[in-house]
Amino acid sequence: MIQVTDLSKSYSRGDKGLVHALVDVSFEIAKGEFVVVRGASGSGKSTLLNLIGCLDVPTSGRYLFAGEDVADYRDKQLARIRNQKIGFIFQSFNLLPRTTAIENVELPLVYLDGRVDRKRALAALERVGLAARARHFPNELSGGEQQRVAIARALINSPGLILADEPTGNLDQKAGAEVMGILQELHKEGRTILLVTHDDEVARYARRELFLRDGRIISDRTLPGHGHSTAIGGAR
Amino acid sequence: MKIHALISQATRVTRRYPLRSTLMTGGVLIGIASLALLTSVGEATKHLTMQRFKNMIGTFDTLMVRPGGAKSRGMPTLVNVPPTLRFDDAQAIAQLPEIKSVAEMQSAFDIDIKYRDKTASPGVFGVSPNWLALRSDELAEGNFFTEEQNSALARVAVIGTDVRSALFPEEDPLGKTIRIAEVPFQVIGILQSRGAGPAGGSLDNVILIPVSTASRRLFNRDYLTMLIAQLRDPNQADIVTSEVQTLLRYRHSIRPPELDDFTVTNPRATMARVTQAGNTLSRILTGVSVLALLIGGAVIMGLMSIAVSERRNEVGVRRSVGASQSDIVVQFMFEALFVALMGGLGGVAIGCGAVLLGARMRMMPANLLWQPFAQGIVLSLVIGLLCGIYPAWKASRIDPIQAIRF
Repeated sequence: MIQVTDLSKSYSRGDKGLVHALVDVSFEIAKGEFVVVRGASGSGKSTLLNLIGCLDVPTSGRYLFAGEDVADYRDKQLARIRNQKIGFIFQSFNLLPRTTAIENVELPLVYLDGRVDRKRALAALERVGLAARARHFPNELSGGEQQRVAIARALINSPGLILADEPTGNLDQKAGAEVMGILQELHKEGRTILLVTHDDEVARYARRELFLRDGRIISDRTLPGHGHSTAIGGAR
Repeated sequence: MKIHALISQATRVTRRYPLRSTLMTGGVLIGIASLALLTSVGEATKHLTMQRFKNMIGTFDTLMVRPGGAKSRGMPTLVNVPPTLRFDDAQAIAQLPEIKSVAEMQSAFDIDIKYRDKTASPGVFGVSPNWLALRSDELAEGNFFTEEQNSALARVAVIGTDVRSALFPEEDPLGKTIRIAEVPFQVIGILQSRGAGPAGGSLDNVILIPVSTASRRLFNRDYLTMLIAQLRDPNQADIVTSEVQTLLRYRHSIRPPELDDFTVTNPRATMARVTQAGNTLSRILTGVSVLALLIGGAVIMGLMSIAVSERRNEVGVRRSVGASQSDIVVQFMFEALFVALMGGLGGVAIGCGAVLLGARMRMMPANLLWQPFAQGIVLSLVIGLLCGIYPAWKASRIDPIQAIRF
């Protein structure tokens, strides 16, 4: 699913020179894996997630996404991949304000073919148990509900890869558990999940852990599964 | 993005920020409304002025000569006539080869007209029998007087429609005898209505009688209020004007540096001057409206640029769910276009309403022309397009990684 070879990303920070956010990172993630990325802040987690999510392009290296070499892709092609093959879930939900839940969920459809399909959006909301809240605005929903709307939005185009950046960071324990329960279901359906978190409880849902420090992967290990001892996929 | 998706996104954004949308729409709306209104009124007024001018002058292949120097521009006045233009002047002008014919006119405005118990005080005009043809006037009923009647000082009269309704509300005036300053005249014809003159007054409150009868039996005058000389070739108006001037200066023994005691007017030139003034006015008004439109455009551009900064997160989110940079450009351009068009349509509606209302309250002519409104809508689209460019470009430059709150 994801094949990263010698991936590097450097930013210019004005007079401080280049910042090497990622240095020669290589790994593979097979279809259907549930991987957690961990590391201190500034270790390159977010940069990695942006590159994998096709929001950013690497300075050097190769990135094969589902067999497509996307490292040299242009804006439009990257946008298409984000739209159809990747679902993003953020810590702060990032729903559009003053826009109803269902309209938020429909947003990716606007960039798919411009045909807004109410039924599909409603089905996605149903999936996260919020069909009854379709007409509510984000500020009328609890944090957990907002995150579930965001998950419905991530799911509407049935992407193979879900990228979740601290999805439970702004939620209480119960709401966090609900969200992780949904992610677990998505994993069971065969979707690949890449999760960034600081939370040990949350990390335990994953089967494999990548640990980053100073832009390099310093550890890549299989985690004991919840009730399943066999990890799917695994390190190279 | 497909067009209907663009429209639904734009309407949502417009509803999401009602105050901002109202402000953005407002500038264009005021601009378009005033542009449409002013252009409509300007055009209609110009049209009306030309129409009235034409009503008064009749034909354009003529020169008008009236006594007295040219102290004021525009229309000749018909009262306070200096005694400097005479019948023999008219005959001399008629001898010029370029002149087809000459019509003489004397007038008086303080004469009472009576028919039984009814009275009226129209303008009384003594005119030569060719008057009707030179003014391209028409008779509604009856006949005009002939050369013979003129020579014979016949007491016959042709009346305008205002006089008819004042003196003969229920009777057929033809053949009836009216008294003009106690002199009996027989009504032999009725003029067709001419409508309003340049100042807005009626041109139908008139009585025409033979000029010789007027001169000898009524006014006791041998000088003219005006004469109209018809040209053989209307394109020679300027040359013939100076010929007539030379002739009259010679006949009146005027030598430089003395000034003319008469005035020759070329209706075509006067007309051109009147329309010119109307044009200038229209242009100034249009300029003011365009300025208002530009301000409206600047408001859109400014508010949208601010909105782009406030909507960084939205742009980031849209990019993350699959919007390309060009999708963002198109979205913001379309929003600007949409808002401007809403303003344009609103302005057209208000402008239309104002024209109709003004016409209804009889404050202005009711000509509802489509051009200013089409112009307004096209202009608002252009403004939306131009003013959307910068905000759209700015929005597309937003880096989604920095715009999304992780």
